[in-house]
Amino acid sequence: MRSVLILLLFISVSVHAQTKMSAPEAEALKTLVKQQALTTKTISSNFTQYKHLDFLSNDIVSKGKLAFKTPDLVKWEYTEPFIYAVIFKNETLFINDEGKKNQVNMGSNKLFKELNGLIINSIKGDMFDDEAFEISYFKKDKYSRVHFIPKDKKSSKFISAFHITFNEKGDVLEVKMIEPSGDFTKIVFTNKELNKPLADAIFTN
Amino acid sequence: MRFLLISLCFFVVSCGSYPEKQNFLTENSTSQEIENLYFSDPSIDYVYKASIDVYDRNFSGLLIIKKLTDKEHRVAFTTEMGNKMFDFSFTEDNFQVNFILDELNKKMLINILKKDFKVLILENPLISNSYSKENNQVFETLIYNKKHYYFTENNQLNQVIKTKNGKEKVQFLFSEINNHLANQIEIKHQNIKLKIKLKSITQ
Repeated sequence: MRSVLILLLFISVSVHAQTKMSAPEAEALKTLVKQQALTTKTISSNFTQYKHLDFLSNDIVSKGKLAFKTPDLVKWEYTEPFIYAVIFKNETLFINDEGKKNQVNMGSNKLFKELNGLIINSIKGDMFDDEAFEISYFKKDKYSRVHFIPKDKKSSKFISAFHITFNEKGDVLEVKMIEPSGDFTKIVFTNKELNKPLADAIFTN
Repeated sequence: MRFLLISLCFFVVSCGSYPEKQNFLTENSTSQEIENLYFSDPSIDYVYKASIDVYDRNFSGLLIIKKLTDKEHRVAFTTEMGNKMFDFSFTEDNFQVNFILDELNKKMLINILKKDFKVLILENPLISNSYSKENNQVFETLIYNKKHYYFTENNQLNQVIKTKNGKEKVQFLFSEINNHLANQIEIKHQNIKLKIKLKSITQ
């Protein structure tokens, strides 16, 4: 009986284990993701967002759709359990909160600007900037996971790490943003379609 | 002389308590109790979509409230995309800021939020006076040394008014109430341009 337990424990540990990548493996992943980001002109995807706060019994789950068009048009739209869309366009955020329209000029807000830059880059997965992040590479089955730890003191005050999971093609499956308190936001992408034509009208509020 | 009488009259009228001005009659029994159960179930993660109008700006996000123990509530606010704006702890007599974005870290703002949220989560305010009119009752209590009036209709809490010198300062409206869950909450400030609208998305 005890050996069964130990075996079970061992299996569950090895299922969850992620091993560190070798330097050539990490280099190969980086090239693959950068290549993928270069050839990606549009992304349309569904997403599920899990907001984890340690003091809650359950994560807050919301769902919606993402549209991305090069170079930097992003529409992030929640459909459940509330209706809310935000479009990132040039230096401006266009918000549609259940029909209530609003815009925020990010040019005047460095924090917003940085955050949005990070969001766009994390959608593409291309955050391999050694100056901005301390980066470590892991693999698990056929998936890769990269940890990005911000070096800048200001951003590390509200984000201690990004964990991005890629599939074997170098596509982003999951983005997890971890706060210094341990609370996190996890976004899981599903039904992702690349390079499907997207009209500019999608990105107007 | 007549002028003096009129002004005395006026003085007496204006000195009447807030509910008396609303034609409520004083009740003599002060043993009455009032409960605010809208954030009282520790098994529920209370989540509200929030829209905040402050002066000419509008902000939105999620207001998250959790009762942790009999004496402690957590109140946090995030953007829709999950970025935390602030995170407060309320215990019986204490208030603590666990986190707040530098941009929001202003003493005056924290004070306003603290006082507003305290009203939302306080379950058993100590009643000093009560008034009634038809099916409506009003209970007077002190929160942070300011008079607050709790309005109930058929024993359901639907409004709290915070007053200063007998004048309405902040109005808290609870509506679409279902099993002790207020699906709509509005907090309207009279002396500053601040309105907080909350819509429950509790899962």
